Amino acid sequence: MDSNIDFKGLWSKQSVQMPDISIIKDQVKQLKWKYMRRLVFANTLLLLTSAFIIFIWIYFQPEYTTTKIGIVVVIAAMVSFLLMFNRMYPLLMKISQTQNNQQYLQNLLLLQRRQKFMHATMTNIYFALLSVGLALYMYEYTVRMSAVAAVTTYAVTMVWILFNWIYLRPKQIKKQQAELNDTIAKVESMVRQMESCV
Amino acid sequence: MVFDEIYSMHWQKVFRLCMGYTNDVDIAKDLAQDTFVIVWQQLPNFRGESNIGTWIYRIASNNCLKFVEKQKRIVKTELPTQLMEEQVVSVEPQIQFLYKCIAALPETDRIIISLELDEVKQADIANIVGLSEANVRVKIHRIKEKLTQRFKENGF
Repeated sequence: MDSNIDFKGLWSKQSVQMPDISIIKDQVKQLKWKYMRRLVFANTLLLLTSAFIIFIWIYFQPEYTTTKIGIVVVIAAMVSFLLMFNRMYPLLMKISQTQNNQQYLQNLLLLQRRQKFMHATMTNIYFALLSVGLALYMYEYTVRMSAVAAVTTYAVTMVWILFNWIYLRPKQIKKQQAELNDTIAKVESMVRQMESCV
Repeated sequence: MVFDEIYSMHWQKVFRLCMGYTNDVDIAKDLAQDTFVIVWQQLPNFRGESNIGTWIYRIASNNCLKFVEKQKRIVKTELPTQLMEEQVVSVEPQIQFLYKCIAALPETDRIIISLELDEVKQADIANIVGLSEANVRVKIHRIKEKLTQRFKENGF
């Protein structure tokens, strides 16, 4: 079958100097730190954002319900955004590396498809909540302005929101999706290799 | 202690699997190191339901399959690898060619043939990859035929 070529012999001649075991142990330690930093960073950000909003609430004493709803909606947008990014990573970690290749690839594919959906949906929700929240929040303060100033303020804000919605949002989604589509295509092809067995 | 033994016993095997997958010494070393980081983390969960070699091969092969995700990022930072080149022992052209041919196969075939050449039993290969033993046998046969053909075409 493999005629006279000794593949096994050739194969086993390839070797490389074994790195010192301390390199592996250091890597494990670094990884632990990395997780910890991510967690601390995400939570600090969340805490600071909330503190800032609460400060505005107390300091400026909004009277209108619209302002309060606006604040809550903006917080919701930020929280959901943070949650999304915190969720993604552990999901990838949860796929057990000790299952067989077939199961592993299937799970990887499933996860990536879910990630793709979540990215697009969450980005839409984030932009929508942020826009609505901002518009509601501004209402109380613009009511007190002269008509011209109020219209100008809303117009400028609207232009900013539209720019976000029409330009930044699709760009963001497109970038994420392109990356994910590449890896999904690759994993799909590997799953097909498995399935194409006799 | 146990980990140290596992590490020295399995390092070359894992490295060769990664090398067959990528045909790039530096990437293969990185992948092999990643594998042992996972082994270290997962070792407390190892219940001995399969032998430890099979278990490590599963982790290593999954790690290789996942590698596509990182490929792009690695390409960008490829520059410094040339500095490490002198570490590589000059290998016979035949060995180089074998690894080159294997790395050019479809991903799952690379894993299967690497395991076969490392003398892993076909039943264990089936267990690692998640195919039936009969499928594995047929695949190995075809891959070997392909490799032999490539070797002959290139005058080895």
